[in-house]
Amino acid sequence: MVGSSGPGKRALHLPLDRADYGWTLDLQRTLHARRKAGACPDLLLTVEHNPVITFGRSGSSEHLLASPAALRREGIEVFEVERGGDVTYHGPGQLVVYPIVDLRAHGRDVRGFVRGLESAMIDALTDLGVGAARREGYPGVWVSDRKIASIGVYVSGWVTRHGLALNVAVNPRHFAMIRPCGLPIETVSIAEVVNGKVPLEMVRGRLLERLAERFGWELEDANLSEVLGGENA
Amino acid sequence: MNSERIDVVLPDLGDVEQVRVVQWLHHPGEALHAGDDLLEVETEKTTFVVPAPVSGRLVEIIADEGTTIERGALLGRIERTG
Repeated sequence: MVGSSGPGKRALHLPLDRADYGWTLDLQRTLHARRKAGACPDLLLTVEHNPVITFGRSGSSEHLLASPAALRREGIEVFEVERGGDVTYHGPGQLVVYPIVDLRAHGRDVRGFVRGLESAMIDALTDLGVGAARREGYPGVWVSDRKIASIGVYVSGWVTRHGLALNVAVNPRHFAMIRPCGLPIETVSIAEVVNGKVPLEMVRGRLLERLAERFGWELEDANLSEVLGGENA
Repeated sequence: MNSERIDVVLPDLGDVEQVRVVQWLHHPGEALHAGDDLLEVETEKTTFVVPAPVSGRLVEIIADEGTTIERGALLGRIERTG
């Protein structure tokens, strides 16, 4: 049931710019509860994190290759979270999108939701001149055998949180600290593929348009106080 | 008061054949409300929390943590109250 025509469903985009992972995680949980209670429409949070490594529900500490000392030196925090998947890295130069979406209004299709996120990223990458595709059995988005985007989702009460991370221009040294998704794979950024600088803002604009198209949203920008319903503003 | 045992089955998640049981969020004997988070399953980078289908008491866990189960599998049973 992903994709639609006709008038879109109103959804809010909350641009967070640069933010710590822990703060954003708390915010996601708060907004997830609001969405579950029907207190707000579908939300898309966009953010660029300070360096952080997170483990999902399939996370294995063997896939963290850096020592605690090396992580401290680089100022990289480590979190264990509820999303699906193994270990991942977030940091500057990576566009992260957290869709807080009620899947009851999107056909209760969990697989379709993940595929919709992948398709929107593939479409946006195509717009930017990057040929990317899916790999069957390996969720995420790939440029031949290199991974350019990761997915990790959590669904409770049919409402999603966590989401996707698209590499725009990520420090490759930071990626070397983990074995992404537990696989011996290489990662890649848009900047390496196009061999030039692509502003994160521009990638965000393309991706939001493509997401809106896939999920049938009419997106409006909002600020923190609006999505929190006027509290804690 | 009538008590009736209700099956908890894995909901249809779309084109998903198998999931892994990550963890139960309640122990047998605990009281639940319909819609409460009951257990976590994971498939292809997605954690899905199965909600309690009815209010009552969790009486049986059938799908153990760490096992892989198929679409429509029986997960456990709740004794309906009220």
